[in-house]
Formats: sequence, structure tokens, C-alpha cells
Amino acid sequence: MKTSQPVTRSLTLNEVGLNCDVRISSLDGPACDRLRDLGFCEQMQLRKISNGRNLVCTVCGAKMAISRELADQILVSPAR
Amino acid sequence: MPESPSTIALVGNPNSGKSTLFNALTGENQRVGNYAGVTVEVKTGETYSPQGKKLNVLDLPGCYSLRTSGSPDEKVAHDALTGELANLAKPDLVVCVVDASNLERHLQLALQVIELGIPCVLALNMVDIAEKSGLRLDPAKLTEELGIPVVPMQANAAKGIIELKQALRHPFPPPSEASWLELDSEDIEAKRRSFIARLCELAARRPDSHQHSLTDRLDSFFLHPVFGWIAFLAIMFSVFWAIFSFASIPMDMIDGALGSFGGWVESMLPEGDLRSLLVDGIIAGVGGVLVFLPQIILLFLFIGLLESSGYMSRAAFLMDGVMAKAGLSGKAFLPLFSSYACAIPGVMATRTIDSAKERLVTIFVAPWMSCSARLPVYFLIIPLLLHEDEGSWKQALILFLVYFLGTATAFIVARVLRGRLGPDKTVSHFMLELPSYRRPQWSYIFRHVIDRAWAFVRKAGTLILGLSILLWALATYPKTDSEDPGEVLAYSAMGRIGELIEPVVKPLGFDGRTGTAILTSFAAREVFVSSTAILFSVAETDDDEETRSLLRDKISNATWPDGRPLFTPLTMVSLLVFFIYALQCLPTTAVVAREAGSWKWALGQFFFMSGFAYVASLLVFQIGSLIWF
Repeated sequence: MKTSQPVTRSLTLNEVGLNCDVRISSLDGPACDRLRDLGFCEQMQLRKISNGRNLVCTVCGAKMAISRELADQILVSPAR
Repeated sequence: MPESPSTIALVGNPNSGKSTLFNALTGENQRVGNYAGVTVEVKTGETYSPQGKKLNVLDLPGCYSLRTSGSPDEKVAHDALTGELANLAKPDLVVCVVDASNLERHLQLALQVIELGIPCVLALNMVDIAEKSGLRLDPAKLTEELGIPVVPMQANAAKGIIELKQALRHPFPPPSEASWLELDSEDIEAKRRSFIARLCELAARRPDSHQHSLTDRLDSFFLHPVFGWIAFLAIMFSVFWAIFSFASIPMDMIDGALGSFGGWVESMLPEGDLRSLLVDGIIAGVGGVLVFLPQIILLFLFIGLLESSGYMSRAAFLMDGVMAKAGLSGKAFLPLFSSYACAIPGVMATRTIDSAKERLVTIFVAPWMSCSARLPVYFLIIPLLLHEDEGSWKQALILFLVYFLGTATAFIVARVLRGRLGPDKTVSHFMLELPSYRRPQWSYIFRHVIDRAWAFVRKAGTLILGLSILLWALATYPKTDSEDPGEVLAYSAMGRIGELIEPVVKPLGFDGRTGTAILTSFAAREVFVSSTAILFSVAETDDDEETRSLLRDKISNATWPDGRPLFTPLTMVSLLVFFIYALQCLPTTAVVAREAGSWKWALGQFFFMSGFAYVASLLVFQIGSLIWF
């Protein structure tokens, strides 16, 4: 399992290592509106906490669990 | 002419503390959980403005947006705010409840509400949690930018309630101009997003570094792929074990009090029909059910604790993989787990499930989660099965297996049904908020438990009392000159009904009396215990031990006319299986019809489950008879 791997290009959230801080660059897929409702908006910073069947990440101060299919629709880039 | 009261609506994301605020404002006792979707319908209450004017308060279901194409909760919230919901006035003022530690997300809904042009007040809730996480809040800046009053508060500690009430004074603030609509962006959602990003930068700045909170540390254990499951199983088993063992002390006390009361009534009245009605009918019938009150209280207490502490959503997260095997998602976990207490709130909690078909399937199988009304029946039969007194770990294990059997069957049927219903038009994926762990809100948990306990006692005092009197009358009249209790019963109306039913229930291993007791339990399951007490002529005595075991003694000594024991271990297993599967609760059928929007679905569920119970019980008894004899 990858941990703390630095993010250097646009990846899906599934591809990011654990405990990495990333920024959402865009959302791409049928569940975009639902993701935005939950706080996964463009330019938001998030941190991936755990992998597995569903991912756990923190976004806007909240801890969210989302499926891998949803994580595939979130494109991220390095936080800074 | 008296002025009609103004209407105030509380709106907010799930888990924003809306229900806590509603309770604080109205003094109502609405259920509060640290879990999304506790409020599943519009609740109404009353409060008074600082000028003493009455205000109607609506608590709308938690939702993430006001999209009419979204979940049923979002549609209800939208329609209530626009005055399109039947029997509800359009609100004159909306209180948007937001979690201050999570403003970026919660403001999305607040902006949509402001855009409707209704006067708004922003309740900036949970400021304590926000400050602890290092967030620097500036309520004055928020007021200035949003154009509406902003009240910082901590609803669970009743802080800020007076300030909020001050903001509810007449005249209400004018609607905000919604300045973000003038921003230069391609669509309205982008305008909102860029406004929120700028606003949070100004008025709710987050600390730069990620802080490792207590919730993070607890989650590294409770969500661990191995330790998390061990903790989950340990918690669930402890709940069942505690229900079985802790409740025995108050149960003994209730039992002793009922025994003494029965003995006192017996000593005060001359022998006759009135004494028989009071002692054998009412005290035996109602008392036989009331004795299980402590277990029901404990079950609701534990469910309240798990919800309020925040653990329930972790359980849903863990269970997602298991639920997927049944064609469901982790979101079906709370409705199904709540159904262990009572299927009615469980069925109503399915509204948080996004997929319509998954929701229907969850509603269909929810009554197979053994509810608290079945507990009295299980507690009667399980000790009898093991030939011992109540409270051993072996009985807890059997109870666990009984719950497991109901649950496993529900999952298998859900899987089959989900396959037959086909995929949804729009694919929905698992997404769940994991709220911070919180100290349980004891006052609300206790009030909720007392509410449920009172509902149970009220049922015992009305439905069960009525049925007990009816059953006693059926078992007493018409009378015969014989002194033999068996002949008296056989001659009575009940004996004759039993004779009619016996051919139907005999293949399951039951006689006419047991069949009659089952028939009466279709009104409510727990009636089975009082019916059995009356049908097997059990009276209360003033001796604790004797009273407690009298019903079991009677049952275990009961025989068929040819002298064979009536209740063999196989008969008792067959009886348990019947009660695990049968849908014997008329209010559940009514709620299913409302939630599924179809009586056909509700009646289909009733007949399917009752038929399934009969066939399962038949198979257990017939196959068991072939193997053992």
C-alpha cells in the first residue's frame, strides 16, 4: 500500500496515497452534483485517510466515506 | 380578530443539529441522533417570540440541496419551503442550521434557501467543535456578506437559544439580496461555490495543518479492517447479552409485585367470575406482557446510545460490504438495525436511501429484523428449550442465533428481490458522512426511551387488556358443570375455536390452544404470551419463584390427549421459527403502505411473510420429526 506519496499530476482520488493533502481540480462523471452537495467542490482541499472498498477522506472539516466509483470521478492535484 | 401565528421552518444538512435545536426551541421530545437522516418527516411544534407571540416551528428533513429531482427528503424540504406541501403553511421565516465546523458544505444549502426570497436567519451551530478544531469564525463578517442575521450557538448545551429567539422577533428581517447571483460565472452552482470559497476565506479560516483529533484516533481502531470488526461484533453481542442479563433484576421486581398483587386480589374477593376475570384474565394477561418492559427499555437505550455517540455510521461503513452481498448498501444498515427495536421507525428511516429500488427492498425485509415485540415470546420459549431459568450465556447465544436467522433470511430475500427488480434508472453510489464522536445526549436518549416505554405500557393497558378480557371470556363461557379445567376449556368458545384451528397448525407441531394464541398474536406479537397464560390457565401467585416459572411449568407439562408432551424441543423450535418470520403487526403494514406508496406492496409483504413463516415452521417440524424419531 502506498503511503504519503507526493502528488505531482492530476490523478483520481483512488490513485492518491494515504494521508496526502490534495486539491480537487475537477469532477468528471454522472455523480458530480451529488458530490458537490457533499462538499467535494472544485478547489476544495481534501485528505485521503483510508483505502478499501470505500474510501475515507476529510473535506471541509467533515469526514466522508465514498465508494471507489465516486472517487474515480474526483480529479485532484497537489494541494500546494 | 386574533393574528394567526407565524411559521418558522428549520432547514439544514443532515447531522447539523436541527433536531436538537427544534427540541430546545419547542420543548418537544423529538429523536436526536449523531447520524444522518434521523428526521424523516416534517415535525411541528410551537414556541414563543420575545414579544410573547406564538410561532409554529417546522423541523424539515435534513438534506444537502433543494433539488426537486433528489431524494424524497430533499423534495419534502423544497415543497415545504415553497408552500407546496399539503396542510402546511409556507414559512414566514427560515432558520438555516449549519455546522460551523463544516461551513463550506453547509452554506451550499443556506444559499439555495436564501435564493427562494424568504427571510432567513443563520444558526451557526456547534461553534464549540469548530473552535476546538482551530477554525477562526467571524460571525459579523458572515452577517455582512450574506445579508442575514447570523447567530453563533451550541444547541446541545442550550447556548445561543436566547440570542436566536431575539432574531425571531417581529418584524422579521427582510429577505437577502443574494449578491452571489451577480458574480461572473457560467452557472449558478459555480457562482455559489466561488462565493462560499471567498466567504470562508474571510470569515471561517481553517488552520493550515491537519490536526489529528480524538475522532481520528478512535476511527483508526473502529474502522480498522480487523480490529474494527472485532469491536463491531463485541458491541453487538454485548447489547444482546446485556438485554438478556441486566434486565432480570427489574423483571424479578415487576414479577414479584404482580404476583403479590394477584395474591392480594385473590384473598380479597370471593371465588367467582369476577375474581377469575381479574386474576386469570387481566393480571395474568397484562402482567405477562408488562414484565418484559425492562428488556424493551434496554434495547432502545442501546440503540439511542450507538446513534448519539456517532458509532452507528461507523457500523454502516463497516457493513457496506456485507450489505452489498444482499444487493443493498451500507445506508440500509440504520433502517434495518432500527428495526430490531421496532420496524416502524426502521421503515421510515429508509427515506435516506438514494436508490428507489433499494429502498423498496429494505422496506420489504425490515420486519424480519426481530423487533422488541418478539422479545417476550423469545424470553418465554428459549429458557424452556434449555430447561433452565432465565439469564444464562447459552440463552444469550440462542437469542443471538434467532436474530441471526431473521437477518440472514432477510439478506437472502433482499438479494433475490433486488435481482428481480433490476437496476435503478440512475446509478447511486455509497456516500456517508462519518460525524465526530460525541458524548451521548443523555437527556434526549432518556426522554426517547421513556416515550417508547410509555407507548409499550399504553399498548398493554389498551389493546392487550382488551384482548385479555376477550380471551378470558372466550375461555370461560359457555360454562359446563364439570370441575375438570381441561373439560371446562374444551366446552368453552375458545376450546371450540381451537378445535377448528388445530388441523391447520397440527402439521407445525401445535395444538388448538397454541394455534389460538398464535391467531390472537396477529394483532400484536406480544399478545401471544398473555394468550398462552390465559389458555393454559396460569394464575399469578405471591411467590416470586413460583410465579416466574409457573407459565413455563404449565407449558412443559402440557400434553396431547394421548399423553405425549405437547411442547417438545422440536415444537418449540418450530414456534420460534414461526415468530421469527411472521409479520404480526398491523401498524407496520399501515406504515409500509404509506412509505412504499402502495397497499399492494404492503399486503404482498404481509401474505408473503405469513406464508413463509408457516412453510418454514412446517419444514422444521416435519423434517425434524423424520430425523429425530
